[in-house]
Order: sequence, then structure tokens, then C-alpha cells
Amino acid sequence: MNVFPPMLNERLFVPFLDEVDGTLCLPANATAADIHSQARAHRLRFPLILDAYLDLRSQITATTHAPASCRFGPYCDNILGMNWRLPSGRIARIGERVVKTTTGYDWLRFLLHSGSRYGEPLDYVLRLRPDCGFTAIARFDGDTKALHSCVSNLLHSGWMHWWDAVDFVTEGGASFVRVMIHCVPEEASIFEQQLEHLAASTCTQLTLQNNTSPPLDGLPDLVIKTTPDRVINLASELADFTLRCVALCYSGVVHVYMNDSYDLTERIQALVQPYTAELHTLGGDWHSRWLPATPPTITESAWLNTLEEAIHEH
Amino acid sequence: MTSPVKSSLEHQLKALLPRGRVLTSAAQLAGYGADGLGYKNHLPDAVVIPADAEELAGFMRGAKSLGVPVVMRGAGTSLSGGPVAAQGGVIVHTSALKKIRDINTEGFWCEVECGVGLNDLDAALKPHGVFYPPDPSSGPVCTLGGNVASNAGGAHCFRYGVTSNYVLGVEAILLDGSVHRFGGPAGGRGPWREDWKRFMIGSEGTLAAFTRFWLRLLPLPEKVWTFRATYPDMKTTEAAIHALVAHSSYPAAIEMLDPRGVAMVESSQMACGLPEGSFMLLVEIDGPEALVNARVQSVAELLRQAGSNDVMFSDEEALRQKLWKARKASGGLLGQLSPSYVVQDAVIPKRALAEVLQLVYDEADAANIRAVNVFHAGDGNLHPNFLFDSRVPGELEKVELISKRLMQRVIDVGGTLSGEHGIGNDKSAYMPLVFGPDSMRLQLSVPAAFNPAHQMNPLKVFDNRRFVA
Repeated sequence: MNVFPPMLNERLFVPFLDEVDGTLCLPANATAADIHSQARAHRLRFPLILDAYLDLRSQITATTHAPASCRFGPYCDNILGMNWRLPSGRIARIGERVVKTTTGYDWLRFLLHSGSRYGEPLDYVLRLRPDCGFTAIARFDGDTKALHSCVSNLLHSGWMHWWDAVDFVTEGGASFVRVMIHCVPEEASIFEQQLEHLAASTCTQLTLQNNTSPPLDGLPDLVIKTTPDRVINLASELADFTLRCVALCYSGVVHVYMNDSYDLTERIQALVQPYTAELHTLGGDWHSRWLPATPPTITESAWLNTLEEAIHEH
Repeated sequence: MTSPVKSSLEHQLKALLPRGRVLTSAAQLAGYGADGLGYKNHLPDAVVIPADAEELAGFMRGAKSLGVPVVMRGAGTSLSGGPVAAQGGVIVHTSALKKIRDINTEGFWCEVECGVGLNDLDAALKPHGVFYPPDPSSGPVCTLGGNVASNAGGAHCFRYGVTSNYVLGVEAILLDGSVHRFGGPAGGRGPWREDWKRFMIGSEGTLAAFTRFWLRLLPLPEKVWTFRATYPDMKTTEAAIHALVAHSSYPAAIEMLDPRGVAMVESSQMACGLPEGSFMLLVEIDGPEALVNARVQSVAELLRQAGSNDVMFSDEEALRQKLWKARKASGGLLGQLSPSYVVQDAVIPKRALAEVLQLVYDEADAANIRAVNVFHAGDGNLHPNFLFDSRVPGELEKVELISKRLMQRVIDVGGTLSGEHGIGNDKSAYMPLVFGPDSMRLQLSVPAAFNPAHQMNPLKVFDNRRFVA
């Protein structure tokens, strides 16, 4: 077979918007406004936004999921490629601009949430989704049993694929279920009927806010990844010690928001410590943007040394 | 197996697998020489079939001392030359590891061994009202081990995504026999600092032996509608594809059969009345009944407005299967039409569809090689099928030259070499088209960390991965 010679330069991404594929390449320090200003004209959107003003990189450093991950998956399924600055200052292309790839080892997903341990992202290639023009937020209130039942019904039916978000929120001693829908205006009444039916069958009170914006919870102080069946109880347990907890129910993620204080890092460590062993058994994890990453194990260090040699090589 | 070296290997293997099977006769090995690619044959020196994960771990602990390559193999349906002994050695056939260990519908996950068949898992999940979305067309025979190793896709990936979107955890055995769990039911990192499963998924057997997986599940859709439309030319077909990918119904599948594929179907016993010279689109939408029924007319109208006067659709199972008939029959027909065929697997930005398809036609026609295109149009995931006879001198070389030019163009338009089949040894020579000096160094550091001597599946993914005992 004819072999191609080694390439002398990286095929770096150049900023672009492909309205057919629904892909957008823009700097990692772009904000939601930057994304919207380019995407909206083509009736496209990037649904995984946590904060309107902070740059995308900060959001991705803070957590692996956003509420709309319920429908569209974590960030790593919605960011297709990156221009990545290595510690040497050289820039490598990571990933692709097309949605499907199985070409080589998946450095994109490995690096995406690695903070600045191996360099930094300069540009992201985002996967956008059709902007259907209508967003609504449903709030279900009720007792604990009813809210559990409500979430179970939301997730265990064919409708689950069509909720942008199903979140269990605890705040100020109260809990509620938050559902985000996004559809064409003509379908709004079909969704509304389903939500009303759900409220009636689970003995919860429905409040529907139509033609609104997606919820922007801001960056969590602590992120816990567990299984979907554990998130509500976990969020409820953590509620007494935190300002606010948002359980992303299908993703199995709890976003924890805490009061700012001088001992924030100690409080975060104390909060998560009782859960660490169970999380590890389940293959879950936790992460806080205020704390350094967990030190690697001895086995892991050996693998990391090999990767780091390649990463640091000039 | 007659030489003293091979006899010694057989002796060592039998010591490592007291309960498993060790195959060494020429007749036994013959079935392991190739994968779905067919025309490239690499006979292994031996095949071992561990009885269970424990025995596989025992084998891996002793594998280093064997001094020969180790190649993992599920059902061998790969289309990239992945699970074949390109440098000789031992093939580890994982067919005995086929337990579905847990189905947890509350947590939306299941735990399966690597030898579980994809359709067997589907059948087991269905009564629970959940499903595992990746659906490669080899579903009736392929195993989840092969699916994870090659990051398999399928017809319904346009909305549902590929294998890597659904793997929560991987249990892997390295060549020192150490067993590691990367992730698990929760799909996170587990006790590790880094998310190592990301490298394992799609690694094509070059890093470790997989024993079991934790997979994410979704509730079954209530209702499915299937649409079939034909178009007179590529321009109108492309317009339909572009409109479909942006449509609010989020189709689950957008598949395409080109006029040469249509002609192949219509000249066979599987003929279903497709107009001569037409491009066929197969579209599927699914969801809750109330929602999906409300979308049917708008999808049909979209297909008509793009230029089709031949739009058929149904939600009845028997009729839906009829609409799928041409698409599903095409794979089997390809195998009947010529002694050998290559299915290429490239992904391109969808705006380049017409351009790249024209290149396929031009190159194939110039070389007098028959080409048929059946592919996942929604993802821009091309599957040009080149039909040839590998026994005729020069035919394989012609196909390889076409593939080389095709892949160069794919990269030039911003695409990638593989969307779902993997690189194997079929496309390893094209990897320098994709990776520059820095990204290539990063790529090669991954096997250097887990399998530095390249004893696991050498000569795959990167063709300089050669095992030196």
C-alpha cells in the first residue's frame, strides 16, 4: 500500500460556522453571547450553557455536564475538536469537525476536562442543535414521594428523549422538579398536555413558564457523578449543608452550590468525604473547581509519565 | 503446528488455559485468518478460547512470556482488518464471555461481558422497556467487545450517537495481567485522576483485553415512523438531507442508497420498485406517539419539497420493513456480486457529499471497478463499496489506489478516515494524513503507556506499531 509521508504541520482548526453540519469553531474564551450571535442567524443553538457571561472554557473546567445533557449528553459529546496549546507552546489539533470519528485514540475526551494539567484549549469546535424557537420551563412542586414519582415518570417513558432537562432542585429547604422543553411553537400544546397529565398522575403541582430562556444555574462549586437512581437522595442529603443543589437526573450528576466563605475548600472536602468510597465503587467521581485534582495512584503515575513525556516534548 | 517453536507455544498455551480451548490445527485456524474485510488473510499461530474472565486474566499474566503477538477477537465482523493476526501470534477469541450480568432500569445501565452479542443484549433489554442504541448492521452476530474496540455506530446514530456515547465503564486486563476498572455504572473516572476509559473505547485491541462493560441505556421509543423517498439527482437528494438534519423532528436515521445501489437491488430478487437511476433516502423518526404522529406530515412534506414525487411512509411494522428492504438487502447483495469487496468508511462535512461521491464515481469508473454507495447520510458517514476480485492481478492495487485518493480528498474537505469501522490495518497507512507531528506524538504515546512493545494487536491503527519480541 502507498504510504503517505509524515505531515510537517498540524491541521489546525480555523474559526468557522458550518450551518449544514451545525458545527461552530470559536475561541475557548467565547461566551454564550458570542455563540448565540453566530448560531442564531442559522436557527441553531448550543444548549449546554451554564452561565451567560463566563467563557466556555470556565464552564467546561467546572463540570462535565449541563442540564441539557439530559437530552444531548455531556460536553464531551458536544465538543468535537479543539486547538490545544501544549506546555511547549506548540499547538496541536485534537479531534475533528465532524460528529462521528473513530480515527485514533480519543485524546479529545481525555483532555477536555483535564484543566490546565496538559496545556490549554485555544479553540473549540461545538456541535450545535436546531433552534426550534420555543422554550418552556415546567416546575413541579409536591412532597418528596411525589417528586420522586414525578422524576421516575419523566425518565421512564418515551418522552424522556424529548426533555431538554429534568432536574431535581433543592434550595432554601424546599425541593422541586424542573423540566425544560424546547420545540417548535406548534408542538407546545402537546408537551403541555403531557406535563399536565404527569402532574395529575403524580399528585404534583405544575407551574409552566412559556417562551422563556433556558435556566442558567452558574458554575457549581462541587460536581458529583453517580448513577441516575441515586441523585435525588444525594441532592436531598447535601441540601442541609449547601446553598443549592441541582441534580441532573438522567445524567446522574449533582451540581452543588455553596456559600462563599474563607473555609470553602475545607467545607467541600468535608461534604464529599463520606461519599467517596461509594462513588469509587460505582465508577463515579467528584470534582471541584476550587480544589486540585486527586493525586494519581502509583499505577496511574506510570501511564501519566509516558503521556507527559509526549505532551512536554518540543 | 509442527515446528518445535510452535509446539512449545501450544504447550505454553495449554498450561495457561487449563479449562479453555487451544486451537492449533490448520483447519481450526482457517476461520480466524480474516475479518469482514475478507480478502486479507493472516493466519494466526494459535487461537485460544478462555472459559471466563478469570482464565483470560491468567492468560494475560503469562502472555508476555509467550513472546508472540496477542490479538483479541469477538465475532470477527470488523470491516477494517482489526481482529486478525497481521504479525502472527495468538488470537484470543472471547466467545465464552457472554453473560449479561446486570440490567438496572432505575439507574439506566447494564453490565455485560465482552462476548455478549449485540442483538442478544437488545432482546434481553426489551422486556425492561429500555434499549442500547448503537446498531451496527452486524448486530445479529457482532459482540459488544468488538463494538467497544471499534467504537461502532449504525443506522440510528444520527440522533442517538455511537458506542463511545454509551460506555460508562470498561474492565480491562493489561499484558502484565493487572485488571483495571475504568469507570463503572456511574460513568465517571472512579478512583483514578484521569478518565482512562476514553482511551480504551475505540482502541481496537491495541491497549488491553476487555472483559466487561457498563453501558448506558435509554427508554424504548413508543412509536416509529419510516419514510422512503427517491430523488432524480444528487442535488435534490442533498437538499433533502440538509433540510432533514435541521428539522425539529430530529430524525433517528437518515440513510442513502445511490443509483448504483438502487440498480443492484432492482436487478436482484430483492427488487422493491425503486425508480431506475434514482437516489433513495430512508428516514426514521421516533418518539412518544402524540409527538411523533404530529410530525409525520411535516417530514413527508419536507421530502416532497426537496424534489421527490415518490414519498412513502408508514408506522406499521410490516410496511416499515418493506421500506427498509432495499437498504438492508444491499449489504448481502454486495457479497453476492463479486468475490471481494471493500467497504470504506469516511466521514465528511455534509456540504461536500456531492463532490466526494463524484470523486468515487470518477475514480472507480476510470479503474473499471464497480462502486456502490450505501451510507449514513445524516452523519456524512460515507460507505463506498468497491467490488473487485482479489484473485485478478492488479485489482486490489486499483482499489487501494482509489481508496488512497478518496481518503486524501476526505481529509482535504475537512473529514476523517473512519466514522465507525476503525482503522485496523486497512487504513493505518493513511494516518499521516490526519495527524501532524504533535498530535501524532500524542497518539503514539497512548500505546506506549499501556502496551509499549506493541504485543497487543501489532500493525493496527498505526502501521509502525510492530511487535519486537
